[in-house]
Amino acid sequence: MKEKEGFVDCPEQQMILYVEKEDGEFGPIQTGSFITKNYIDDYFEKRKKLILSLTDQCKNSEISPVKMFMVLEDLTIDELSARTRIPARKIKKHLIAKHFDNLSEELLQRYSTVFNISVEKLKQADPEPEAMNEEPGKK
Amino acid sequence: MTTIPFDHKMGAHCESGTVTALLNHSGLKLSEPMVFGIASGIFFGYFHKHKSFTFPTFIVRNRPGEIRKNIQKRLGIRFRTFSFRKEQQGIEKLDELLEKGIPTASQVDFYYLDYVPNWERAHVNVHFMVVIGKEGREYIVSDSYFPKPERLNEESLRRGRFAGGNMSPKGFLFFPENVPAEVDLRKPVLKGIDKACFNMLNLPVPFIGIKGIRLFSKRIMDWPKIARDTDHLSHEVMKINILLEDQGTGGAGFRFMYATFLQQAAGIIGNSELASLSTELMNIGDRWREISLFAARIGKNRDLGPGKMKELSDLILERAEMEEQFFKKLKQSIK
Repeated sequence: MKEKEGFVDCPEQQMILYVEKEDGEFGPIQTGSFITKNYIDDYFEKRKKLILSLTDQCKNSEISPVKMFMVLEDLTIDELSARTRIPARKIKKHLIAKHFDNLSEELLQRYSTVFNISVEKLKQADPEPEAMNEEPGKK
Repeated sequence: MTTIPFDHKMGAHCESGTVTALLNHSGLKLSEPMVFGIASGIFFGYFHKHKSFTFPTFIVRNRPGEIRKNIQKRLGIRFRTFSFRKEQQGIEKLDELLEKGIPTASQVDFYYLDYVPNWERAHVNVHFMVVIGKEGREYIVSDSYFPKPERLNEESLRRGRFAGGNMSPKGFLFFPENVPAEVDLRKPVLKGIDKACFNMLNLPVPFIGIKGIRLFSKRIMDWPKIARDTDHLSHEVMKINILLEDQGTGGAGFRFMYATFLQQAAGIIGNSELASLSTELMNIGDRWREISLFAARIGKNRDLGPGKMKELSDLILERAEMEEQFFKKLKQSIK
């Protein structure tokens, strides 16, 4: 890649790109993220639709908040199990709404730590901490 | 405690950037591509099913930790390493090293880093950065993905260092202990290239190296069946761009950085064939970038029918053919 083709104006996400410089030497330039600059709106649009769909399913007791956050955080049951130290077979139950209501404070705390939210947010199936809406330029 | 004077530089990749920064701090001036190349960082692996991934994915670099280990082995540098069962011990050890003025690399889950914008965060347990100081309840970190040193709340660093899951960091810390002022790079360069060629051409695993690229080309046709819906498929296809370009690769899935290594290596070992191979790899990198852009475009347009997926699959297969020829020539060039 030629140096002049490598520059992307995206101060929100800077990165290093290796390019061919004018003198033929290969080396690094600091540039911006192409996908953040051009397609971040699409990411937020999909994210909002996914959140709406999952919160609806939660409201209708089709899934539990654990399932909702697991999908949002892109975690598998095995991974969530290893992170919470809750056996996978128990997590499978916790993904179902009727079992979620019986969870102890301690288990809720373990889930909320992994999801990086408060226990209250987990209970309310509220996936919109202020930062979730943070968009480039608003950091 | 104050901040240790440390020359913060952005790097293409977190592990090679961190190892390079620590070696430079210790007086051994090496470029990031040289560290990456000697450590045989270039790689390919495709995972169609994995207990830790919710969707098929691929990697374009060797196993996390291998860059440090290979550099240690090939350059005769000794890294002091620590991992911890008890969190408190891990916290105290880091503070103790900082008190002694030792910039210390830390392995963390990227998700808990306060200074990372939310849209970039993901649970990745193998992010590396250098901790260079502590002020009050905040650590000062030199993270090679960011233009300047950042501040990180001590609770966030604790969570990141002691996150569970696949490749859990267990508070892992390291710093170079014994760094020679000068190293003859000829032998390490050749060893690094030889091992990279072996990984790409000869590892007897069907999802690694060139075989992995071919498998990726074939199995991507199954992605529409695995995705929840069109938006999900679009998201996963667009992630191809992120994995190749944005996730600390220096562009084109590390191909540009490895081309830079080969150009530098040509000068070190006086092998002009490596110089022409570096140009060839730069061109192959451009072709990988075409895939990145194509994936981003069809994902954005939700143009993900069988025709476009086949086109994407064919582009990937073409890169497999190119890289097979390239790595065979590279292997031959150092005989």
